[in-house]
Amino acid sequence: MPAGQPLLTAEHLGKRYGTVVALDDVSFTISDGITGILGENGAGKSTAIKIFMGLLKPTAGKATVLGEDASESLTVRGRVGYMPEHDCLPSQVSAAEFLTHMAEVSGLPPKSARTRAADTLRHTGLFEERYRAIGGYSTGMKQRVKLGQALVHDPAFVFLDEPTAGLDPLGREEMLDLVRKTHRDFGISVLFSSHLMADVERTCDRIIVLQGGRLVHSGEVEQFTKETETVFIEVDSNREALVAALERRGVRVTVDGAGLTLEGPDESVYDLVRDSLVEAEAPLRRMGPRRRALTELFERGAA
Amino acid sequence: MSQQGTVFDIGYQGYSGTREGRGRARRAVFKDGLRTALGFGRGGRAKILPWFFIGLLSAIGSIMALVAGAAERLGGPGTAAKANLPSHVDFYGAASIILFVFAALVAPELLCRDRKEGTIHLYLVRPLTGSDYLAARWLAFLVVMVGAAWLPQWILFLGLAAGDPTPLVYLQKHWLDIPRFLLAGVVMAVYATTLALLTASFTVRRAYAAVFLVGLFTITAPFTAGLASEMQSQAGQWVSMFNLTNIPVHVNDVIFGEFSMVTADAPARLFPAWGRVGWYLLWTVGPGALLWSRYRRLSP
Repeated sequence: MPAGQPLLTAEHLGKRYGTVVALDDVSFTISDGITGILGENGAGKSTAIKIFMGLLKPTAGKATVLGEDASESLTVRGRVGYMPEHDCLPSQVSAAEFLTHMAEVSGLPPKSARTRAADTLRHTGLFEERYRAIGGYSTGMKQRVKLGQALVHDPAFVFLDEPTAGLDPLGREEMLDLVRKTHRDFGISVLFSSHLMADVERTCDRIIVLQGGRLVHSGEVEQFTKETETVFIEVDSNREALVAALERRGVRVTVDGAGLTLEGPDESVYDLVRDSLVEAEAPLRRMGPRRRALTELFERGAA
Repeated sequence: MSQQGTVFDIGYQGYSGTREGRGRARRAVFKDGLRTALGFGRGGRAKILPWFFIGLLSAIGSIMALVAGAAERLGGPGTAAKANLPSHVDFYGAASIILFVFAALVAPELLCRDRKEGTIHLYLVRPLTGSDYLAARWLAFLVVMVGAAWLPQWILFLGLAAGDPTPLVYLQKHWLDIPRFLLAGVVMAVYATTLALLTASFTVRRAYAAVFLVGLFTITAPFTAGLASEMQSQAGQWVSMFNLTNIPVHVNDVIFGEFSMVTADAPARLFPAWGRVGWYLLWTVGPGALLWSRYRRLSP
């Protein structure tokens, strides 16, 4: 695979299940790094991943992985990893045995499979527990085994489908750290599927947003963050006067419970808020940046 | 003088060795199937069933050999044959129900658990198709079944040879039994493996598959035998053909060129050899094709 070439490409990709449209004319490319694929349930994230894994044939367009047609090549699956969202681990066997087996199923010779399994368990923080049956593991440990089986054959690219699902805040943080480490330290590019914008924002370099099977956004996370950030303020009194002052200065205001959500033209919104507060003589209680709810973003995308 | 060691973390090491692709993937699933069926790499409970049945089958072979050997020693050469004591041709008929119960209880472990626990999804995203996965699992259980069928026959053969006053003469006279019981063992194993895995492919619960199969084999045998004896002529023969435990035993009879104890009175024995073999193929190829069609297009 030549350097600089995209690892994944979707060209006018479409997938229908009867009358249901799962993906509709979706085009994007994914290069080295961590890319987040964001969307609500049913947005088409899993369908896109399955097409890239060669498990589904697209009804329109083409998907390539590492330069090969995803629906034609079986060998390319030996160079990609997949961590599913749902349960997929055998309860009776140990993590060491399971990862060794999965490495062999990915095409590695038995001796290399054993070495890779031990290394992967060390890097995913399961080395001490490797001989225990997986059935006795906690949810966080099981997620690590799922990630481990996706990495054990040293893929060039790994698909992670909702890797933080079901984890407590600490477990979630550790998993996100492992995802970052997967690219930063292991050199494996990642496509990270989630419906949690905070997870994607903190982990990914680029983002692809799907809604109802259509591509809503594709680009750098930083840009996406700027576009989707708002300012939230709460005042003790004179709220109506403040709204009027803000609107006169070109700030879009939405009354949001006890507070106000503001969309300014750029970062100068904070200066405009200061001036408006003075003019309206409104005592400020709270102010800070706030992300729009994902559903709201999708509604905007659809509009 | 004490020496100090230092541990270095060399960090993540990528893999640059060979990738053997689909062939290695198939072999890995096959090997895992063998280990699963025999309970290796699992807890002690997983070993109980397979090794109990293998032990039971071997015990039957050993007892048959001991009885025949004792008869030969006490009554002189040829006593076992004159007394019509069970031998190679009879073994699969006598042990068929045990072989089928073994298949019914152990085979679902190879398919049901992967679907119930979702592990099948991890196989299908690797360089492996649904057909590859199924073929590897089928072959793995076939090997276990063939082993379970052959082991007692070898014990019986070696026991009969050792029990004979003239072992070398016995070997010269009976060496043809070896390819016969080997082939008949494969016939039994293919039939049991295919039907057991087909049943397992319809449920994620091993107990349901096992109970259904054990029930099918144990109920159809006396039911069809009783009904066939009540009926006359060809209708009785056809009913007798539906005795599921006897279907491969009829082929065993064709291979040995004589009837076993179990099928000696079955009306189905009156069908010509090609009819009995064809019936067996129908009951093996048909379920096999159905099983394959269920896994061919499988995707997570």
